[in-house]
Amino acid sequence: MSTDNETILDSIAEAPADHYRILKISDLDGDKLHELSQFMKLSLSKEDMLAIQEIYNDWDREPTDVELEVIAQTWSEHCKHRIFGANIDHEVDGEKESVTSLFKTYIHDVSQRIFDSKPGFVLSAFHDNAGFIKLDEDQAICLKAETHNHPSAIEPYAGANTGLGGVIRDILGAGKGAKPIGSLDVFCFGAPDTSMDNIKADDVLHPLGIMRGVVRGVRDYGNRMGIPTISGAIQFDDAYIYNPLVYCGTAGVIPIKDIDKEVRAGMKVIAVGGRTGRDGLHGATFSSAALDTDSHEEDQQAVQIGNPIEEKKAADFVLAARDRGLIEFITDCGAGGFSSAAGEMLEECGGVINLDNITLKEGGMVSWEIFISESQERMVLAVKPESMVELQELADLYETEMIELGEADGSGILKVTHHGETVCQLDCSKLHDAPVREMTSRWEKKTKEVDPPVLMDAGETLKAILGDFAIVSREPIIREYDHEVQGNTVLKPLAGASGDAPQDATVLRIDGSDRLMAMGLSILPEWGKTDPYAMGTACVDECIRQLVAAGSDPDRIAILDNFCMGNPDAEEELGALVETVKGIAEAAEAYGAPFVSGKDSFYNYFETDDGPVSIPVTILVSGMGIIDDAEHVVGASLRRSDSLLAIIGTTGTKLGGSVLARQLEINNAEVPATDLEVALESYRKYHEAVKQGLILSAHDVSEGGLAVTLAEAAFSGKAGLEIDLCSLPMDDDASKAAMLFGESPSRLVVEVAPGNLEKLADLFEGLPFACLGRAAAEHSNLRIEWGKEILIDEPLDELKAIWKNGLAQYY
Amino acid sequence: MEERPRAVLLKFPGTNCDSETARALETVGFVTEMIPISALKQESIDGVSLVVLSGGFSYGDYVMAGRLAKLVTEQKIGETLRDFRDNGGYILGICNGFQILTQLGLLPEGSLVENTSGRYQCQWVSLENRAPESPFLSQLPESFEFPIAHAEGRLVTSEASIAEDYRANGAAALTYTEDVNGSFEQIAGLQDESGRVFGLMPHPERFLRRRDHYDPDWSGGEEGEEWGSGYYLFRSLYESVTSDEE
Repeated sequence: MSTDNETILDSIAEAPADHYRILKISDLDGDKLHELSQFMKLSLSKEDMLAIQEIYNDWDREPTDVELEVIAQTWSEHCKHRIFGANIDHEVDGEKESVTSLFKTYIHDVSQRIFDSKPGFVLSAFHDNAGFIKLDEDQAICLKAETHNHPSAIEPYAGANTGLGGVIRDILGAGKGAKPIGSLDVFCFGAPDTSMDNIKADDVLHPLGIMRGVVRGVRDYGNRMGIPTISGAIQFDDAYIYNPLVYCGTAGVIPIKDIDKEVRAGMKVIAVGGRTGRDGLHGATFSSAALDTDSHEEDQQAVQIGNPIEEKKAADFVLAARDRGLIEFITDCGAGGFSSAAGEMLEECGGVINLDNITLKEGGMVSWEIFISESQERMVLAVKPESMVELQELADLYETEMIELGEADGSGILKVTHHGETVCQLDCSKLHDAPVREMTSRWEKKTKEVDPPVLMDAGETLKAILGDFAIVSREPIIREYDHEVQGNTVLKPLAGASGDAPQDATVLRIDGSDRLMAMGLSILPEWGKTDPYAMGTACVDECIRQLVAAGSDPDRIAILDNFCMGNPDAEEELGALVETVKGIAEAAEAYGAPFVSGKDSFYNYFETDDGPVSIPVTILVSGMGIIDDAEHVVGASLRRSDSLLAIIGTTGTKLGGSVLARQLEINNAEVPATDLEVALESYRKYHEAVKQGLILSAHDVSEGGLAVTLAEAAFSGKAGLEIDLCSLPMDDDASKAAMLFGESPSRLVVEVAPGNLEKLADLFEGLPFACLGRAAAEHSNLRIEWGKEILIDEPLDELKAIWKNGLAQYY
Repeated sequence: MEERPRAVLLKFPGTNCDSETARALETVGFVTEMIPISALKQESIDGVSLVVLSGGFSYGDYVMAGRLAKLVTEQKIGETLRDFRDNGGYILGICNGFQILTQLGLLPEGSLVENTSGRYQCQWVSLENRAPESPFLSQLPESFEFPIAHAEGRLVTSEASIAEDYRANGAAALTYTEDVNGSFEQIAGLQDESGRVFGLMPHPERFLRRRDHYDPDWSGGEEGEEWGSGYYLFRSLYESVTSDEE
């Protein structure tokens, strides 16, 4: 029996040696097992612990501490995505439905149908570190995004730093090693002007502190690695004060012949890169639980320290080794450290890992610490024994440390030895059988019809919106990132005559190919607060629209889904997640844009003095598109003073989710739905126009609505604009507020030479399309009329100053 | 048979602009070889026309930009590199390479320190060509644009008057047309007395093609022209190297 001083762990542990223990769990009841899980920070539920107990009872032995840690890593939400695999009883507006695995039903199966309909396009999805699509006959491209939310809340610089470092390693570990060529970063923070009085918990960092730390963390990793950070977004909302979100993504390129990889018995397992230390213990399990004030004190050791030069050296080594054909299998050391990497690698084949060979940052580390440490900058490879000498020469050349971890042996058993003893011996197939969770969720319609607001002065409204944190220029942050290293950034994140106007998608040239890669993304959490389904469809639409606008072929786009949410055990929060997933699935299927990779982050909620605060369900949809010819690249900035402007798409009446609605505090207004069929048809026609050279520039209509889109396009500084909304394709009763500031999806403003308008209009026969006006050489105002009525007539330099300085004053 | 001139690019741990710099050199006609610093020997630059130190963050630049790279280079090939220059060899340092060259003492005295903004700055800048005779700048117009991307690009000298002298005596081969980072005399690039050693903070290799410019309607260069201003820096160098060899 445990005394007051004796911990639950001490009471059941037997130590055959100093470096590992055997834990007698067979006699513990469920509550004691759960207590043990909490004490060891395993983040395993009572049910999980009971399942583990049963496995060991079957084996007729007790687990070692190393084994329990390995199982906790493997079964953690972070690694296993158990909520996306759960059976969910879902209820929406009173209608019941049951979901057997969100992942299988809405992500995997939807994508599989698209793969089947487009043979040869997706070359790998879901099973590797990142999914690949075919670029041309020789090369494939991939994209992966991850979150690093919990670490960034506690230590923003290191959290974001290692967040980017981690996703770069995912690319290096994709296939037999892809080359990282560009990164994206998307953040959700509290507003920069949040009052300290509104932060209702101790030790929570102010959003400005978090933002500065996070930006510098991304900057210092990406810039030092020499990977251009080319794409991004920031959302500001009070809901993210306690739980900021930090998404980092990286794209890569690989020869198609190097995509498939396999571990076979007899191969050596080696690691390269940094050494192993106590930094980053329990990162995977830590991020599978909620934060509270104590997290800020206790969990510092879960946040790793980044060293980009260590990773750069490892990257140089990996790419050189791949080019010489020396790599048979590779994966990165991420969450779960060697235990996850080796576990993944030896899952089927089995093998032995010897912890004595691992070089350590500090002495006295026990077996489980070495095996699950998430120390950064480590890659694990399987190689042929005869390649070892050449690999060691390469490691010496690039000054990175290479160690032999062990070997694959074909036994199907993951065996770990340390100081001459076996500290872990697990049947790999058992490792991946976590109990399926049974969950309940519900969602009820939250929106209602509201009367449109009457705008007293649309010009003033436009200024207020351009100065909103949702819209203001991200230039101060973009400039801290090297977005041109590697010399391939064709469409940059900033454009226009003075290089400071906004861009939608960004485009990279790919070495050795005539084709280019576009990167786009969308994140609309405000929509999801009242209509998560509409958020899902709109995010997929916006991402694809950006990619198409920049010149991508609409029929060769692949996307990623990255979810963040609060408490999945709260039925309504889980209900919002289910609706969001259904929304993205519907849109992905309609557009034929498969998911090739995705990730999720749960427990983004915080126990404040006033009770728990959850983030809204937040989906980042990012994507990659293929541009066949450099001549097809289209930017978002107005280019000429003699051109015409036309709009593609219908302007609807609904204002829900818009910046205008937020500013005017119009709550629960209906959120626009996406007409996926018309949208896809329009994107195909648009792409036809691009191929015919009819499009000078194109900017998507998104946050802030049409007036903001026009202003942003004209921030290029080339001309003023004369616009008349009389011919705007719209639902009959769209208000002026909706015309100017509504955020209906699927719309693009395109710039066309006067002589090409007719051709363009012919292409769009039967689709929503209209010429709205012209670029004006004679003035530099944004002038928007409605018949005889002037709605907006403002000098562009004044509008631009508001937009340009909005964030600069805080950053 | 015409033999193409050879260029060697030194690669330190953290050097990250070597591929695109090699691409630019190859485009104008050089044969390039990237040598990781661990493999660098005195004989590595035998028969070479050009030694390039490209951009990046050598050893992370945590101590002071280029400091560790300087120590390693000096120890491995310091004397050889000076002989190479004295015997007609060309040396180019871009961004981090410029920082290393100043530390090596191969360029007129000066240090590259933190920008006055305190920030990393990735942007395009206007430049003035103040040394049209320079083997690196001969084919570039009086003014042109290159992108910069650095946190420590502010050139300072121990006395302000020294930087003024650089303007007068031609050492300041390249200047910004406005204050970008607090550099004394707005100096963006320096050359040595021989003119064969040149360092600059801006990145010519990122403006190899016209299409690399942020504005698709960039009015510089000839109509329909394929190349950007960066091409002409490397092309100047190629012409100089090959005319020496004739």
